[in-house]
Amino acid sequence: MNIITIENVCKNYKTKKALDNVSLTIKKGELFGLLGVNGAGKTTLIKILCGLTYKTSGTIMINNFNLDKEIDKIKEIIDISPQETSVANNLTVKENLEFFANIYNNNNANTVNKIVDIFNLNEVVNQRAKTLSGGYKRRLSIAIALISKPKILFLDEPTLGLDVFARRELWNIIKKLQKDITIILTSHYLEEIENLCDRVAILSNGKLLKTGTIKELKQMTKAKSFEDAFIKLVEAKSE
Amino acid sequence: MNKVINFYKRNLKEILRDPIIYIFCLGFPVAMFLLFYIINKFSNGNTPTFEVLSLLPGIIVFSYSFVMLTLAIVVSKDKQTFFLKRLYSSPMKSYHFILGYFFVGLIVGLLQTLVCIITGFIISLISNVSFISISSVLLLIIAQLPVLITNIFLGILFGTIFNDKSAPGICSVFISLSGILGGCWMPIETMGAFELFCRFLPFYPSVYIGRIITNSTNAIGITYSFNNVAFLGLIPIFIFMLGSIILTVVAFKKNMVSDK
Ligand SMILES: Nc1ncnc2c1ncn2[C@@H]1O[C@H](COP(=O)(O)OP(=O)(O)O)[C@@H](O)[C@H]1O
Ligand SMILES: [Mg+2]
Repeated sequence: MNIITIENVCKNYKTKKALDNVSLTIKKGELFGLLGVNGAGKTTLIKILCGLTYKTSGTIMINNFNLDKEIDKIKEIIDISPQETSVANNLTVKENLEFFANIYNNNNANTVNKIVDIFNLNEVVNQRAKTLSGGYKRRLSIAIALISKPKILFLDEPTLGLDVFARRELWNIIKKLQKDITIILTSHYLEEIENLCDRVAILSNGKLLKTGTIKELKQMTKAKSFEDAFIKLVEAKSE
Repeated sequence: MNKVINFYKRNLKEILRDPIIYIFCLGFPVAMFLLFYIINKFSNGNTPTFEVLSLLPGIIVFSYSFVMLTLAIVVSKDKQTFFLKRLYSSPMKSYHFILGYFFVGLIVGLLQTLVCIITGFIISLISNVSFISISSVLLLIIAQLPVLITNIFLGILFGTIFNDKSAPGICSVFISLSGILGGCWMPIETMGAFELFCRFLPFYPSVYIGRIITNSTNAIGITYSFNNVAFLGLIPIFIFMLGSIILTVVAFKKNMVSDK
């Protein structure tokens, strides 16, 4: 069953065509990857899906709600961990989680403790967010997105700027997240997409080049590695 | 309402954990009071504008511009750290945000008013002048509410439309305006055309009405009374209040879905 259907979506900023006729479907429960180099249009697509910016044209259905008409209903079932680790800096880890839980009337000790456990935040639970290391801050940012118990979770460049250890740890956490959430993850790290995602869409210059599993994309391009497949697809388009 | 309270609590924590609030909102009014008290003392106490009861409304109105600054800083920072962006994708509506910021401004503003009044009271004890009654104190607080509300909304407005680098600069322009055009430490009533100009802005009329309540005397020795200056002054006071509210709501809604 498709939980997100994107049809012919375009987005023009004043000076830039950021999305060019993108069509895509995402299935319920899958971990879907949006892969593309910097400036490909990943964040723009995520922002449109979350109602943070308007699309120029096209239709989007999320969980059978029309984005243009029922954005309020959509906001109840989605959450986003933005590319920037946006947390309340002067609140502690726990206060951050409680604050966001309250928005969704989800604030009980159980929910918060469970999330703290899943994300291994026990050590820093009473520390103010601004004093956290990059890895912890990212984890908090993603933990916050999960506290609303969303049906759909958007992770925009979740491991940007992390060292290898923090990245591995985060990968493990993402893999363990329960399977009834649909996760849309953007990244420009090939190994991240390869490691985590069930299916991938490759974005380049605002255009969607191909969608499929890693295996399918490799077969399609007769490439040995995913990296080769990616490069072939992007180069074929720009020629 | 739960969402408003939740956001209000967070904003209050955010503000109270930042030392800037104690310097600007509490330290500054006290320091100004002391400064003018000393100036007045060394000028043999013959500057009516610097008498405690004349200073009190002026400093209260002036100090509200620091509430504006505080809110502008908080809102623009929330924008800059993408904290607000993330909340925009939650079920929170524009009025939840605006009210959550507003109530924090109100609390800080009222606390400031109290600090000003207590400082004024202490100075009146030291300098042996009688202070105003409790009912006048209450009346003074109520009379200054519109200009406080104006400052709060202007703060949210500036934080919404400017980034965290330029918002404080814009605010400092307003802080200066509020100080100079409010007549806090300048005998505006002796300045002819300048006085007329000040009557079109909310600061001077607010201070003026405050001085009626504190029963103080102006630079030319006349006791403030509810005359045309006060009466017509109500017009800019309320126009600015309504204007700041409307502009803030419009700007905030626009910011919630934007290309920025
Ligand atoms: N607010 C904006 N105004 C104008 N151009 C923008 C804006 N946001 C993004 N862009 C441009 O749109 C393109 C896609 O950006 P983005 O979606 O952030 O890419 P990605 O997330 O894949 O790195 C880039 O060329 C970027 O410069
Ligand atoms: Mg991006």
